[in-house]
Amino acid sequence: MATKADAFTLVKAGRLIDANGGPPIDRGAVLIRDGKIARVGAQNDVAAPEGAAVETYDYPQMTLMPGMVDAHTHHNGFGDGRRGDDLVKLPDEVLTLQSARNARMSLFTGVTTIRENGPKNETSLRLRDAINQGITVGPRMVLNGRAVAIIGGHMSYFGIESTGPVEARAHVRQLIKEGADYIKITATGGSTKTSFPLLPSFNVDELMAITDEAHKFGKLTATHCTSTQGIVNSLDAGVDMIIHCIFKEPDGSENFRQDLAERLGEQGTFVNPTLHVSRSGIWALERKKAERGLTPAEQVSLDEGYRDFDVRLEDSRRMIEMGLKVITGSDSSWSDYPLGNTPYETECLAMAGYSPMQALQSVTRNSAASIGMDDRVGTLEPGKEADLIVVDGNPAEDVNALWNIAEVFFAGKKVDRGSDQSVAGIRQRPPGG
Amino acid sequence: MGNASSNFKLITAARLIDGTGSPPLERGAVLVEGDTIRAVGTEETVIPPEGASVERLDYKGTVLPGLVDCHVHLIGIGDGRPGDDLNKLPDEVLTLQAASNARTHLYSGVTTVRDCGAKHRTTFMLRRAVEMGITPAPRLVLAGRPVAIVGGHLSYFGVEATGEVECRAAVRQLIKEGADFIKITATGGTTQTSFPLRPSFTVQEMTAACDEAHKFGKHACAHCVSSQGIVNALDAGIDTIFHARFNEPDGSVRFQPEIADRIARQGVFVNPTLHVKRARIWAFEQQIESGPLDEDEQSAYDELRREYDSNLVCFQGLRDAGVTMVSGSDSAWGNYTMGGFPHEIEANVEAGMTPLDAVVSATGDSAKSCAIHREVGTLEPGKKADILVVDGDPSQDINALWNVADVFQNGALVDRRDFV
Repeated sequence: MATKADAFTLVKAGRLIDANGGPPIDRGAVLIRDGKIARVGAQNDVAAPEGAAVETYDYPQMTLMPGMVDAHTHHNGFGDGRRGDDLVKLPDEVLTLQSARNARMSLFTGVTTIRENGPKNETSLRLRDAINQGITVGPRMVLNGRAVAIIGGHMSYFGIESTGPVEARAHVRQLIKEGADYIKITATGGSTKTSFPLLPSFNVDELMAITDEAHKFGKLTATHCTSTQGIVNSLDAGVDMIIHCIFKEPDGSENFRQDLAERLGEQGTFVNPTLHVSRSGIWALERKKAERGLTPAEQVSLDEGYRDFDVRLEDSRRMIEMGLKVITGSDSSWSDYPLGNTPYETECLAMAGYSPMQALQSVTRNSAASIGMDDRVGTLEPGKEADLIVVDGNPAEDVNALWNIAEVFFAGKKVDRGSDQSVAGIRQRPPGG
Repeated sequence: MGNASSNFKLITAARLIDGTGSPPLERGAVLVEGDTIRAVGTEETVIPPEGASVERLDYKGTVLPGLVDCHVHLIGIGDGRPGDDLNKLPDEVLTLQAASNARTHLYSGVTTVRDCGAKHRTTFMLRRAVEMGITPAPRLVLAGRPVAIVGGHLSYFGVEATGEVECRAAVRQLIKEGADFIKITATGGTTQTSFPLRPSFTVQEMTAACDEAHKFGKHACAHCVSSQGIVNALDAGIDTIFHARFNEPDGSVRFQPEIADRIARQGVFVNPTLHVKRARIWAFEQQIESGPLDEDEQSAYDELRREYDSNLVCFQGLRDAGVTMVSGSDSAWGNYTMGGFPHEIEANVEAGMTPLDAVVSATGDSAKSCAIHREVGTLEPGKKADILVVDGDPSQDINALWNVADVFQNGALVDRRDFV
């Protein structure tokens, strides 16, 4: 009698990329059992035990690879340019519904694991509950609960304002109690109106208390840093990932700090540059310009956007050349960057110097490592979760093949993504595209 | 011309049921302009304006109004869990469940629902998200929270009112939040702390609630699973009675024709909610297939079957008295999952309606009960183009309603495979 545990799923494809960096395997296959990968390799070497029940899928013209891992998402967001200060005014229930929609957009476009970076109150925790109860579908979620911020600091409106090492520790404990998987800290101001993006927020003793408390419970930390002193403080505090990693002085001048980049390398800190969220802002203004022209202030903002993007691309190029652990985290749906469009960020990292295969690893194996999920996802290896995507094209040669998701398997099950038309509507096109 | 005003659709089908009770038309046609029905008739009589750009859609089955389910609980899960347990889920989770149910119901051909009780502000928040384009849903007629006595049925959803003043305040608060009608639990129900065989509110309290609702042009509906509740609701000037069970305080069933006559005379709608009971019976029968019931389950099962049979008898008595019976599923309460409204409509046929009458009970008449009949419920010029197309002929076989070919909402074809 074939029990559920005896049932296998075999997924075959013309090309297999396991994301460990080796060359693609021609005519590869993944054998799945109980939602986990049992075997990976050439089709000749991968078969279910004789007599076992096997459900087989075959994509002879396509590439099979691990589901994408987006290390930086905002599922509350709309990606329509609205500010966080305005987003937060929406009721939690509405933000939870929007998060559910975004989660489906992630999953349907091949992102099978996400790390959330700053939702309001308990919205993302409740979404995960609902996914676990089968009420809605979405990727695996690595959650922070809420961002830890200073009074008036970036994302303080989402629910936590912390002062002093003691309160900061208490907030970390509270988040972990609620189900947080890691701790996100805003180490500088940001787009939040009452914050100062060019200045640090927490003092080093506060940051150290937060990272120490998180690490005590085996949780990772990540800091939002849109200016240099925040990066310095974060490195002092032993943070695991620097988000944005913008080298700006208090006067707004740009100054790439080779010494800090070297420290990032020495400390093994992950870097999430979030390039496309800047480019999406540029695109939004370009669209506006084509439709109705720009006000002088908007034109200034567009010119600044171009300059900023060039500098950040160049900084990323340097960090990639130094071999720093630069990974894909889209930052969508923040600002003008809607979820379901993760490949744009990966494409930006390719523009900054990654080969297509390195770019692919930045959104699979390496982004999984950056969020502490590399024991479960990110590569095709026996024992890992069977989160697979089937891609039309060869992403090892062209990163933009990641747009052409033909099929998604989550925990070994084919995801019913609905009509092609509805899935195609998720992609945000460049201006004039 | 490509502007919205010249956006015509001509929907033709082997037959058309307009939802008014008129017999089906052979070779029916509906002309839609934008979100509005412009003409209804046969292929010969419905002619688009000369020179207009017209999208033509031809079906081999039946075109009819989108279904109007006058009794849903969008936050329900339909897996048999009691409301007392459902209520323990956080509001965010319940709102997600409501969104999932709303989508399922829409894709199954229901283009309007009246939600008869949800926790806190969950359904209001769903509506806000629908208006923002976050998630699809049928047209929503919402109660928000039901008005209950302390410990009364559904009191856990957030309103417990005592006395006429508090009842009025509760109604005003709900209307402020966006309620389209007021749901009152006039007897107890499945709620553990309530008494299903007893009335809950005094007539004075219920009168105050109804009066306050009517003052603002809202209608009022009462949950009544025992006779005194029905009488009190009629005294209070209620507009629709849910369940309408003729149970006495001792649990016996005694159909009272004089009450039925009053319901008919006052023009009050009755929504009999037959299938929600049958769904529980079916759940037991499914359980029986894998093993015998224990003693408690067996007696619950026997009791349910007796109740269902008596519900069918009362249904007939109400119809004979001339009461307008309207279809409302009560899903996803109890074991009745959403997307299965045809079960309730079919139960009405089992209870004695003709298939055509049952279609009317789930379209034109249920729209009247929801006070939304000026907008939807029938295929008539000027109505919003909420349209259902099914394979087969539901006026012959009501189960044809399961075979949905297409759904139009406000004139737009619904992508029933859009899961985003």
